[in-house]
Amino acid sequence: MTIGLNEFLVVSGLLFTIGFVGILVRRNTLIVFMCLEMMLNGVNLALVSFSRYNGTMDGNLLVFFIITVAAAEVAVGLAIIVALFRKRQTVYVQELNGLKN
Amino acid sequence: MDAALIYQLLFLIPLVTAAVIACFMRKKHSLAARLSVVSAAVFSGLGLYLIYAAERTDWSVSWLSLAMPGGRTFEIGFGVLFNDLSALMLLVLIIVGLLVQVFSLGYMKDDPSKARFFGGLSIFMFSMLGIVLADNLVMIFIFWELVGFSSYVLINHYFDKPTAVAASKKAFIVNRVGDFGFLLGIVFVYWQFGTFNLVELEAKAALSPGLLSTGMGLLLFCGVLGKSAQMPLHVWLPDAMEGPTPISALIHAATMVAAGIYFTARVYFLMTPEALNVVMWIGTITAVFAAIVAFGQNDIKKVLAFSTLSQLGYMVAALGLGGQAVAHGHGVEAGIAAGAAVAMFHLTTHAFFKALLFLNSGSIIHACHHEQDIYKMGGLSGKMKVTFATFTIGVLAIGGFPFLAGFFSKDTILHLAHENNTIVYYILLATAALTGLYMGRLYVVTFFGKARSDNAAHAKESGPAMLIPLLILAVLSCVGGYTAFYGHGFHDIVHAIPHATDSGFQTLMYITGTVFSIGGIILAWLIWSPRRDVDTLESGAPAVFKALGNRLYIDAFYDWYVEKVQDRVALILSFLDQLLISGLMVRGTAGIVGLFGIVSRSLHTGNLAGYVYWFAIGVLVLGAIAFGTLKI
Repeated sequence: MTIGLNEFLVVSGLLFTIGFVGILVRRNTLIVFMCLEMMLNGVNLALVSFSRYNGTMDGNLLVFFIITVAAAEVAVGLAIIVALFRKRQTVYVQELNGLKN
Repeated sequence: MDAALIYQLLFLIPLVTAAVIACFMRKKHSLAARLSVVSAAVFSGLGLYLIYAAERTDWSVSWLSLAMPGGRTFEIGFGVLFNDLSALMLLVLIIVGLLVQVFSLGYMKDDPSKARFFGGLSIFMFSMLGIVLADNLVMIFIFWELVGFSSYVLINHYFDKPTAVAASKKAFIVNRVGDFGFLLGIVFVYWQFGTFNLVELEAKAALSPGLLSTGMGLLLFCGVLGKSAQMPLHVWLPDAMEGPTPISALIHAATMVAAGIYFTARVYFLMTPEALNVVMWIGTITAVFAAIVAFGQNDIKKVLAFSTLSQLGYMVAALGLGGQAVAHGHGVEAGIAAGAAVAMFHLTTHAFFKALLFLNSGSIIHACHHEQDIYKMGGLSGKMKVTFATFTIGVLAIGGFPFLAGFFSKDTILHLAHENNTIVYYILLATAALTGLYMGRLYVVTFFGKARSDNAAHAKESGPAMLIPLLILAVLSCVGGYTAFYGHGFHDIVHAIPHATDSGFQTLMYITGTVFSIGGIILAWLIWSPRRDVDTLESGAPAVFKALGNRLYIDAFYDWYVEKVQDRVALILSFLDQLLISGLMVRGTAGIVGLFGIVSRSLHTGNLAGYVYWFAIGVLVLGAIAFGTLKI
């Protein structure tokens, strides 16, 4: 069997869906954060696949941007989670509902 | 000095004084009192200069100018119309005002809120000055309300007394009733003449008398009914005696209540003979009514209040009689002007002798430790010799004893009545007799016999701050009836006063004046013997005394009307308001918005996953729209 665009896209979609479901169902902020990264990588994979399929560099270029931004985001996000844990002694989202009231 | 500058200074001095006292001297009582008296003295000096040394000029600046459809402009000015009439009223204001301020230094010496009192006096001087000098109706109305406010504040001076609070509210509300008609009258005038300015109005009224109407005059007179406490709206003035006595002398006897008379005299050219006929009867009825009710009062200030009502009735009757003079073949202008001049003459003399009587009563009340019941006084003639002497002059002056102030002014009013309306003449003559009698009762019971309470037994003569104003006012009550006393500044008024040429009438006046004043005291001595502890009328005819004491139940009727009729109408209106405007429109609109709020708040769960679901749904909907599956 030859591995074509469709297979790559299926893997990309699976990654994205797993990430999204993880965000929905997991309670731990760290896991949610990781799921978010997984969704980004699913998107990255799709972009690279299309880039390869079309023979252009546009998608690859965008992937570099996403990786850079994601790295920055991880740095900030993890720092927020650490700060949050220091303040609230928890990282579980169901306990972080201070905005409700 | 430039007249315009003096006008501005006159307005600014009391206003700034009041503001300084209100802002910085709420606790510095004696400083505030001194500041107020000094500013009143400067005010009086400038006023005297204006009256006697400066030219009679007008001064005006545009205050409000609005463009109206049709290219016209709606102008309201802030200006001064200074003629002989306003000069006379200003003279009354500065003389009585200054003397009352000095008197208050003694009377209010131990008052815990002296600063508020003197601040109120200053704002009153400012407001009253506005009425005296204003050159247009809107400005008069504004200052008219301001004197109402000052009166409210000063009646309410002892605001821990429920009666004082009720009295101040009553004064304010009753005046509001009259002022509503007054405001309508001002609108009516503008509608007909297209201007508020008194000078322009006079010119236009002379040019086209057809624009005048009886309704206009009567609507304007509604304000006078309230402010000068004439018959249907007289109820507030006796209650206003809850205020400190100097206030009763200045505001509720000499100046503010006389503002109505002054106002009518100032706009006499807007009055028609028919309107003045109504005015005459209102004044006459008020005069006799108040004189009768005065017999049922035991409170020294209440007696004087009814006496003020009665004298104000005299003045209003004089204004009205001017209109009758027209009917008897005199020229319209001359007749009405004569009525106004006579009314102003009585206003001036009344201001002197009534302020004297009120300040005397203040001196007595102060000496008797705030006892106001005349049946708890008695025997004061020996203990308070100066007060006794000045009070005697006041009683004789109001009774119309020949050659004292009240005699001449009352004489001119009776002369006017004698010439124009016989019924009114006899009613006013009877009122003069009643005046002598009730003042005699007050005089005899207060000063003679033995002291009927400990407070009266220990009464001592008041200090110089109180006696000097009394002496000055006593002198004025003696000489105030001679027009020569006022100097040459008041030609317009002096020349308009008609003089009796009939020597028989003159002799009659001398006789009645003497009989009513001296005879009143003697008769009062016989009826209300100073040795008795209870009022003769009270023991002889308790039902009559009770009816008089209750002011012939007019106040009670108003109370009943307000409680049983007006309150119920108000209740229905309030219900409709709650249901329709407040309920349906205001709450309804707010309710719909609130409902959206409740729904969207229920989505705000604080659960992160919940938000993600909503986010996912949003993406799906957006996707559906983008792919065209969902048409919107």
